[in-house]
Amino acid sequence: MSTPPWRTVNSVPYTNGTPRNGAFTPVNARKNLSSAPRQVYGFGQTTQPQIQASVPPQPAQKTTFPDKLKQYVARTFEDCPPESKADVEVELKRIITDAFNEKVVWSLEWDKMPLPQEILATKRIADRKEKEESKTKTVSVQVSNGLRSSPKLDTGESRVPNATSDEISAVTSRFDDRFDKRARHDQSTYPSTADKLSQREKEKRAKRFEDSNNRVSPPHPSTPIDNDKPLIGTCEKLEKQYFRLTSAPDPQHVRPLHVLEKTLELLKKKWRTESNYSYICDQFKSLRQDLTVQHIKTDFTVLVYEIHARIALEKGDLGEYNQCQTQLYSLYSEGFKGHEEEFKAYRILYLLHTCNRADMNDLLANLTPTDKQDKSVQHALQVRSVLAAGNFHRFFKLYLEAPKMGGYLMDSFIARERMSAMCTICKAYRPDIDIRFLTEELGFESDTECVQFLCDNGAQDLIEQKSDDKGVPRTIRFQTTKALSLFEDMKRAAFKKVDIKGQL
Amino acid sequence: MSSLYKQFRLALKGQSGELLGNVFSPSNPDMTSFAFSTNHALVRKNVEYELGNIATLRNEKSRTAWVEAFCGLWKVAYTLEREEEDGAWQRAYEGQRETMQAIVRGYQSGQWSCWTLPVMYTACKYLRTIAIKSDEDRKRRGLKAEDLEDAARHINRAFTLCISDRAPLEESRKWGTYYIVNLLFKTYFKLNAITLSKNILRALHATTGDMPALKDFPKSHIVTFKYYVGVISFLEEDYTKAEENLTAAFYLCHRDAIRNQELILTYLIPTHLLTTHTLPTPALLARYPRLQTLFAPLCTTIKSGNLRAFDAALSNGEAEFVKRRIYLTLERGRDIAMRNLFRKVYILGDKNTRIPVRTFQVAMGCAVDGEGGERVEVEVEEVECLLAGLVYKGLIKGYISREKQMVVLSGSKAFPGTGV
Repeated sequence: MSTPPWRTVNSVPYTNGTPRNGAFTPVNARKNLSSAPRQVYGFGQTTQPQIQASVPPQPAQKTTFPDKLKQYVARTFEDCPPESKADVEVELKRIITDAFNEKVVWSLEWDKMPLPQEILATKRIADRKEKEESKTKTVSVQVSNGLRSSPKLDTGESRVPNATSDEISAVTSRFDDRFDKRARHDQSTYPSTADKLSQREKEKRAKRFEDSNNRVSPPHPSTPIDNDKPLIGTCEKLEKQYFRLTSAPDPQHVRPLHVLEKTLELLKKKWRTESNYSYICDQFKSLRQDLTVQHIKTDFTVLVYEIHARIALEKGDLGEYNQCQTQLYSLYSEGFKGHEEEFKAYRILYLLHTCNRADMNDLLANLTPTDKQDKSVQHALQVRSVLAAGNFHRFFKLYLEAPKMGGYLMDSFIARERMSAMCTICKAYRPDIDIRFLTEELGFESDTECVQFLCDNGAQDLIEQKSDDKGVPRTIRFQTTKALSLFEDMKRAAFKKVDIKGQL
Repeated sequence: MSSLYKQFRLALKGQSGELLGNVFSPSNPDMTSFAFSTNHALVRKNVEYELGNIATLRNEKSRTAWVEAFCGLWKVAYTLEREEEDGAWQRAYEGQRETMQAIVRGYQSGQWSCWTLPVMYTACKYLRTIAIKSDEDRKRRGLKAEDLEDAARHINRAFTLCISDRAPLEESRKWGTYYIVNLLFKTYFKLNAITLSKNILRALHATTGDMPALKDFPKSHIVTFKYYVGVISFLEEDYTKAEENLTAAFYLCHRDAIRNQELILTYLIPTHLLTTHTLPTPALLARYPRLQTLFAPLCTTIKSGNLRAFDAALSNGEAEFVKRRIYLTLERGRDIAMRNLFRKVYILGDKNTRIPVRTFQVAMGCAVDGEGGERVEVEVEEVECLLAGLVYKGLIKGYISREKQMVVLSGSKAFPGTGV
C-alpha cells in the first residue's frame, strides 16, 4: 500500500476520519431537501474500511460473542449489588455495543476489562473532580492516553490482538475518556445508552445543519418554478451587490417595488455626491435584476433604465448603455412612458458610432413627425446627415452644441471622424495649412491641443514654424500633402473597430 | 373522383413536372371539387384508394409520401373553400406545412425523381404566401405572428435537400437550388432578416465545386438570384458588386416583365449614381412610370445643381426611399448635385483654373436659395469643407490654397467624367 489508510479515507464517499467518539460529526453539503437521511448515511459503518484492514480475526458477522465476553458478563452480575443493578446493566450494554460498533469485541481482552460497576465508580469520581475543577480539561487530559488525540491508534494500525497491559490501560482509559465526555453531556437529558446517544446527537447535528442550510439555500430546485406567477421579494435592504443569478431567485434577497423606489432615490443622491461609477453601475445592475425577476414593467422601470443609461453615457460605458437602450426600446414599444425622443436621439448617435446602416434605415423608417420635432432628435438627424455628406465643418459645430448627453455619445466617434476629416484636409489643401485652421475646424480647444493631437499621431515632423521677414514667429504650419498617407492609415484603423457588445 | 387525381395520373404518366406542380397548387381550379370530395374522417382512406392502383407508385415509401402530401393539400383546400371564421389561415398553413413535410419525406426516402421538383417549388411558394396571410390575420387579431419564420425554416430544409443531393447531375435535385434560394431570399427580406441570406450565399459558395454553373440554370432563376445578390451587396455598400449583379439581372430580365425591371432599376439607379455618377436618361424613366415619380424630381435637381430643390425632393420622397432602403444611398447624390453646381461656376468663369472660394460661396448661396426666397449665405469654411470633400472623393481635381482663398483646378479634366 503506497498511501497509509488514513489518507485513503478521504476518497471513500460519505466516510470521514474519526467520527465514532463524537469528536465531530462530518456533514456533507446538502444538495437536496428530499434526501435528509443522506445526512446520517454512513455513520454506522463509518470506520469500517480501516478497522477491517487492521483487525485480523474477523469472524462471521452475526452476533456471536467471544467466550471471554460471556465470562465478563457473568462476572459483572456475580458481584453486583441489587440496588445498582439497573445502572450496571445499562452500562454493560453500552460497553458491549460500543465494542461491537468499533469491532473490537474480538480483540479486547475481556478478562482484563474493568467491570461496569468499576467504570461507574470512576465516572462518579471523575464527575466530582470535574465539578471541583470547574470544568477544566484536566480530566480528559489525564485519562485520554493520547488515544483520541492520535488518529493513528484510532485507525487501528497498532492495535494488536494480544495487547500488553499498556494497551489495556489505553483501551480502558479510552472508555473512561468517552465516559467523561458523556459525563459532561450528562447535564443534558441524554440517556446513557451510548450508541443511541451518539446516534441522536448526530441526528441533531445533522438537523442543525439542515436548518442553517435551509436559511441560505434557494427554494427546492427540483420543484418546477412557476414562471407565470411573478415572485415578490421580501428583502428590505436598500443596497445590494449585483450577482448574476445561476438559479431561481430567492425572494429573501429580492427587494420589492417600494424598496426599489427608495433605492433609486438613494442611488441618485449617491451619484451626485460620490460619483463612484463602479459602485453605482453595480447597484443599478442589481436594481434592474430585481425588477426583472419580479416582472415589474412600469414607467418606473423605464425611469431606472433611463437613469442608468445616462450615467453609463456620462462614463462612456457604451456596453452598459446599449443594454439599457435595448430594454428601453422594447419598453417604449410596449407603451410605457419615459423620455422616448431623447433616447431615440441617442440611438441615432449610437448607430452612427457602430456604422449600422441597416438599423439606421429601419429607425428612419419608424420616426414619426412628432419625433422629428424634438430638439435632440433633430440634432441627431443633423449629425447623421452632415456625416453622410462629409461636412466636418458642421459636424464639429454640432458636436459642441449637442443637447443632453448627446455629446458623450459623440465622444465615442469624434476621434474617428477627426481622422476622416484630417484625410480630407490633407488631400484638398496645399501646400500646407495653418494650425489655427485645424484647431477651429476639428473642434480642438486650443492650438496646443491640436499640435498634441498631430504629435500623438506621429506627424510631429510635419509641423513647422514660419516667421515673417523680420524673423518674428508668425504662424505654425502643417504640411498637409505629406501627411495624407499617414492619416489614411489611421482612418482605416479607426473605422475598423466598432463596438458590437450586446448589439440591439 | 376529383379531377385532381386524373391530372396527377397524367402528370406521373407523362413525367410532366409542370402539370404535377399545378396539381399541388391551391389556386388550381379543381381545388373546389377536391375540397368537397371527402371529409376529415375519410380523407386518408379516399386518397389511399385513389392512389392505390397507380402502377408507377409501387415504392411503398414513395406512395405514402404522396398520400400524405394529398392529405395536407386537402386540408388547405377544405379550409380555404369552407372556412370563414378566425384562424382559417392558420389551419390552412398547417395543412400546407403537412404537404411540405410529406414532400420532403418523399425526396428523402421515397426516391422521388428530379423531374418532380416543380411540386417542391409550388409547395414552398404557397407555404410562404399562406404563412404571410396567416401572419397578417394574426396581427390583425393582436396575436404573435410567427408562421413566416416557420415557413422560412421549412424552405431552408428544401434548400438543403436540393444542394446536398449527390445523384448524377442529369437527375440531381441540385437543379432546384436556385429557385429555392430565391424564395428564401424573398422570405428573409420580408422578415427583415436580410443577414440570414448571407448564410445561404456562404453555403452556395462552399458547394460550387460540383454545382452546375449558374448560367446553365433557367433564366428566370438566374435573374432573380442576381437581383437578390445585387440588392444584398447594395445594402452592404459593396456598390461595384451590386452594379455587376444588377446590370446582369437587368439585361437577362424578360422584356415584358416590367415589374421585375422596375425592381432591378430601383437599386441600379442609386448604384449608378455612386459608381459612375450617372443619372437615368428621361427615355429610360419614361418606360417605368412608377420609377419616374420616384426618381425624376431628384434627378432633375441633381442635374441642375439646385441644392435646395434637391433637399426638398429628398425629404419629399423620404418615406418611399426609406421603405425601399435606398434613402441613405440617394442622399449621397447631393455630392453630385454640388459637383454639377461648381462645374457650372467653372464654365461660367471661362474655365479659368483659379477660382476664388468666394465665387463658390456666392453660387452656394444661390443654390441654397429657394425660388424667390431669401439668399442663405453659407459660411466660407463650410464651402471650403464641402469643396475639400469633393476633392477628396475625386469629383473635382485640384486643391485649395487657404492663404489666397483660391481653388486651383486641374488644367485638364477638372471635373472627371463630365467632359470638362
